[in-house]
Amino acid sequence: MYSYNDYLSNDYLRNTTPSMMNNNQPNLYTPEEGYNKGNLFSDLYQGYKDYQPVKLRATNEKDALFLELSRYAFAAHELNLYLDLHPEDTTMLALFNDYRTRANQLMMDYESKYGPLTISSDELSNSFSWEKDKWPWEGGIS
Amino acid sequence: MWAYQKRLQYPVNIKKKDLRMAKLLVTQYGGSNGELAAALRYLNQRYTMPDNKGKALLTDIGTEELAHIEMISTMVYQLMKDATMEEIKEAGLDPHYAEHNKALYPTDANGMPFTVTYFATTGDPLADISEDMAAEQKARAVYENLIDLTNDPDVIGPLLWLRQREVVHYNRFKELFEHYEKMYNGNSNHMNNTNNQNTNNTSGNFLDSMSQGLNNMSQFLNNFTQEM
Repeated sequence: MYSYNDYLSNDYLRNTTPSMMNNNQPNLYTPEEGYNKGNLFSDLYQGYKDYQPVKLRATNEKDALFLELSRYAFAAHELNLYLDLHPEDTTMLALFNDYRTRANQLMMDYESKYGPLTISSDELSNSFSWEKDKWPWEGGIS
Repeated sequence: MWAYQKRLQYPVNIKKKDLRMAKLLVTQYGGSNGELAAALRYLNQRYTMPDNKGKALLTDIGTEELAHIEMISTMVYQLMKDATMEEIKEAGLDPHYAEHNKALYPTDANGMPFTVTYFATTGDPLADISEDMAAEQKARAVYENLIDLTNDPDVIGPLLWLRQREVVHYNRFKELFEHYEKMYNGNSNHMNNTNNQNTNNTSGNFLDSMSQGLNNMSQFLNNFTQEM
């Protein structure tokens, strides 16, 4: 388990103030563990029987970047749903913005190396690569 | 409007065809508790939500359900795509082949086509959101039934993940329900929400009031610090 305090002490919110800490904060998994489990909020996690979530791994650089993008996009989405109901939670808002920014950056990195994931991508400026490569139902990362 | 991303929300990579499982799994596409019903239910109910919390949550969960339709469709497609005619007949999918060849079609596990009567909209937020909570629980139960019916790890992985999304969505809807219950009936003290305080509660929620007060104070200090 990864607590919000660990996250603070590691790499985040270096210019924050103690008043941002709030005793009602939910406990979160890391984006990696949360994505594997399908749930970023450890207090809400409910397993089924003895089944364990898959530990997703990438075997090449392309899949690794794609997986990292999926993790941060998922974590930002989870906080989006939470913030819909708690828009005044500035701590979670800051974390949302951190994950959102990382996901956007990873998306741009991926698109510049491997082609567009969205029709608004700059990678379309020279050739219409939108219809190239596999479509999502034809196989993703293993 | 919506913008498409050319990626699945969670990877699906099924290597072994399984016609029997495709026939069962399709219910989470076009069955009464499936993802299509979920997406339409939430996206249709959102217009008459009484505040922006409800409008935002139904829009965002409804949108995620569209991504789940894509995951389930991908699973059905991959389970079926290399099937021979013999296998199709053996799995009892020849009626499907007659109507649709190997194309997807939203039905339940018995082949009953999707219908909008699977969901309701009353215009009453308490009724609508409690339907949504029930829908998430029913979808979770069906995912568990489907997990019980296969031993292919490539199928179980995404099903476990989708099942967990039902758990998260249920909890978000429950929070929204409690917020509306408080708004309309003033008898719930579950939401820790600075916008909707109800100080008339008589039933021992002193601690809630305390923590609410502390919240407000930390909010105030935070705003103050930012202004400096």
